[in-house]
Amino acid sequence: MTLSTAMATAAHTMTSTAHTTTAAADTPGFLSPTGVEIAFLLVGLVTFGAAIVTVTTRQLVHAALWLVATLGGLAVEYLLLTAEFIAWVQVLIYVGSVVVLLLFGLMLTKAPIGRSPDADSGNRWAALTVAVASAAALIWVVVDAFRTTWIDLDGAAAGSTEVTGKALFQNWVLPFEALSVLLLAALVGAIVLSRKAKADAAATSASRPGGRSEKEGAR
Amino acid sequence: MSRPSPDHRPATTPSGRPRRSVPGSGLAKGLAVTLRTMTRKSVTAQYPDAQPELPPRSRGVIGLFEENCTVCMLCARECPDWCIYIDSHKETIPAATPGGRERSRNVLDRFAIDFALCMYCGICIEVCPFDALFWSPEFEYAETDIRDLTHERDKLREWMWTVPAPPALDPGAEEPKELAAARKTTEKLATAAQPESQPPAQSKPQPPAQPESERPDRAESQRPARTESERPARGGATEPGEGES
Amino acid sequence: MNDVLDVTLRLLVVFVVFLTFPLIIGQTEHKVMAHMQGRLGPMYAGGFHGWAQLVADGVKFAQKEDVVPAGADRRIFQLAPAVALLPYLLVLLAIPIGPGEGAVGEVVDAGVFFVLAVMGVGVLGSLMAGWASANKFSLLGGLRTAAQLLAYELPMLLAAASVAMAAGTVSLPGILDAFEWWWLPWQIVGAIVFFVAGLAELQRPPFDMPVADSEIIFGAYTEYTGLRFALFLLAEYAGIVVLCGLTTVLFLGGWHGPWGADGLGWVWTLLKTAILAFVVIWLRVTYPRLREDQLQKLSWTLLVPLSLAQIALTGVVKVVIQ
Repeated sequence: MTLSTAMATAAHTMTSTAHTTTAAADTPGFLSPTGVEIAFLLVGLVTFGAAIVTVTTRQLVHAALWLVATLGGLAVEYLLLTAEFIAWVQVLIYVGSVVVLLLFGLMLTKAPIGRSPDADSGNRWAALTVAVASAAALIWVVVDAFRTTWIDLDGAAAGSTEVTGKALFQNWVLPFEALSVLLLAALVGAIVLSRKAKADAAATSASRPGGRSEKEGAR
Repeated sequence: MSRPSPDHRPATTPSGRPRRSVPGSGLAKGLAVTLRTMTRKSVTAQYPDAQPELPPRSRGVIGLFEENCTVCMLCARECPDWCIYIDSHKETIPAATPGGRERSRNVLDRFAIDFALCMYCGICIEVCPFDALFWSPEFEYAETDIRDLTHERDKLREWMWTVPAPPALDPGAEEPKELAAARKTTEKLATAAQPESQPPAQSKPQPPAQPESERPDRAESQRPARTESERPARGGATEPGEGES
Repeated sequence: MNDVLDVTLRLLVVFVVFLTFPLIIGQTEHKVMAHMQGRLGPMYAGGFHGWAQLVADGVKFAQKEDVVPAGADRRIFQLAPAVALLPYLLVLLAIPIGPGEGAVGEVVDAGVFFVLAVMGVGVLGSLMAGWASANKFSLLGGLRTAAQLLAYELPMLLAAASVAMAAGTVSLPGILDAFEWWWLPWQIVGAIVFFVAGLAELQRPPFDMPVADSEIIFGAYTEYTGLRFALFLLAEYAGIVVLCGLTTVLFLGGWHGPWGADGLGWVWTLLKTAILAFVVIWLRVTYPRLREDQLQKLSWTLLVPLSLAQIALTGVVKVVIQ
């Protein structure tokens, strides 16, 4: 799961790399790249490397921290593409919250300081196949979709907060709302699951004589 | 759940709990306490820079007034941790009057208190029948070698000069016994010289004979005189532990 | 050339602020805490009322041996203090202290998002330290840090979002340009929520359960010595600077003041920040540490609803006045 996600992320980075290098210059082409393009490429390579290490390292917490590097690299890529808002949201949500949650979960496990002997899932090849397939599909789709467009880095920022907000709440408001409903559904589902587990626990502890009642436990 | 509030004021909480103060008032009170403390003078004593003002009866160190010591050993015996060392020898005093009896007296050779052992209980000072030991508020005698904490006779005497004067008696208090005794002696002498005068002085009741260690109310100048005058009187007293041997 | 000089100068100023302000706050904490407890605090270092105490502390920290436990994850253990400290330096870049372009290290378009995002990254340092120390106290501290961050990030974001809604922009100078004095009562709930959540994110008392020195021995920092430990401490105080500065900018109107707006705006910003820093210290001295469950309860049952209510209020007022 993580493997394929990270591979997809890396693939996404590669895609963006390819897309910008072809698009950012005034005359689309790989020759005579500008400084921003070179930086973009280098950061993309670092991000890609971090993503690879994320899925191949045997140390679980290291994987999570490499994920931080990957996501941070992506944020830098967004910045270089002048999508400032997206970049900071990326840092806020993914680095600030998702990875913290991930680390929190890892700390609850018995993850050792060194290598985990059983960190490999055994589905290595299947995962690799899926990852490569999805990466290829993404590259193909993105390259196909944005082949002829490019971002004007010198003009007004194409990804500023204002532009993003207008796009989100004018053109894309329906998908946005659908996404919020999806998240709401997930939230409700989580609450239902946790409440059910709690009720079950209460029932079992109540049926056991002398057991601590749920009310006491909750106090 | 609608329990009436004990003070018959309207309940503020819907659960019917008794009316409480405004929510957060406790938090505000805490903040007020710390803020008020900040504006006040702090209580820190900057000790090495400023000497502490110790009360006169502070138990800092024990001073020895050697002239009062009869080497009775009471202090050394009563000391709970045996930190008082006393050595002495006996000397014979030739008779004062021709044909009189020779007297023997104890001469102090060594008096030392090991303040590394002393627990400052003050028992030695309490039991000393002749007021040879005194509390001094001096406390700065730390040493780098523990053996130096055994204060010998001369050092204990040095501490003696730091003993504060006793506090004044309350107005209307009973006359100090030494003064009374001294006055009586002089009066006796006076009456012996003039037999007809001053009969009321003789009829004054004798001060109680119980040994009482009310030492701080004695003037410094009284000590040697009192010792000289009292020692013979006390010689045959009832003190069981008086090691005159 | 001029641009390069300008940027260098700004970075230098921000860096100096980053190095001095935490020390000033630390020294103030020493003295204020002492006097609130009826003590005097440091009196010797530097001669005058112990003003150089923290310099002396720094020298002491630099002299200490830098110990890495044998069982620790070396790299991560050594990297953690930097991860904890650097984000605050970045955040400081974006906080405007006066009107105009000249009074901010770097104008960031999505300033609110930038500062909150980068502040959240700082907590990663504590998590790394907690996990890499190979110490159960550190691990507990790391767990508590993570739980606390997850609980308090949300109300903090919501409170900041309320201000952004009111101003109609997420840029920090933009928010200040739009500020009116009546925002103060309007956003007061959000301000309190933001400040409290920020305190919790910094793990300042009374929200210092993750570092609770009396029970888990400074949590994630148990194994740290010398300069690395000093960096963590510096991060805490830099965090206070950042939090107070942010609260000032977002809720208290930054450089706006009753008088002296032209030219002296930065004085207002610094004054408000200093007062807030004093409040941080005051709260530390006054209140006992919250228990872990109380911490979580405070966030989820009080701060989150309050911040949501604030957002609703902001929205209603915003629609009404338009």
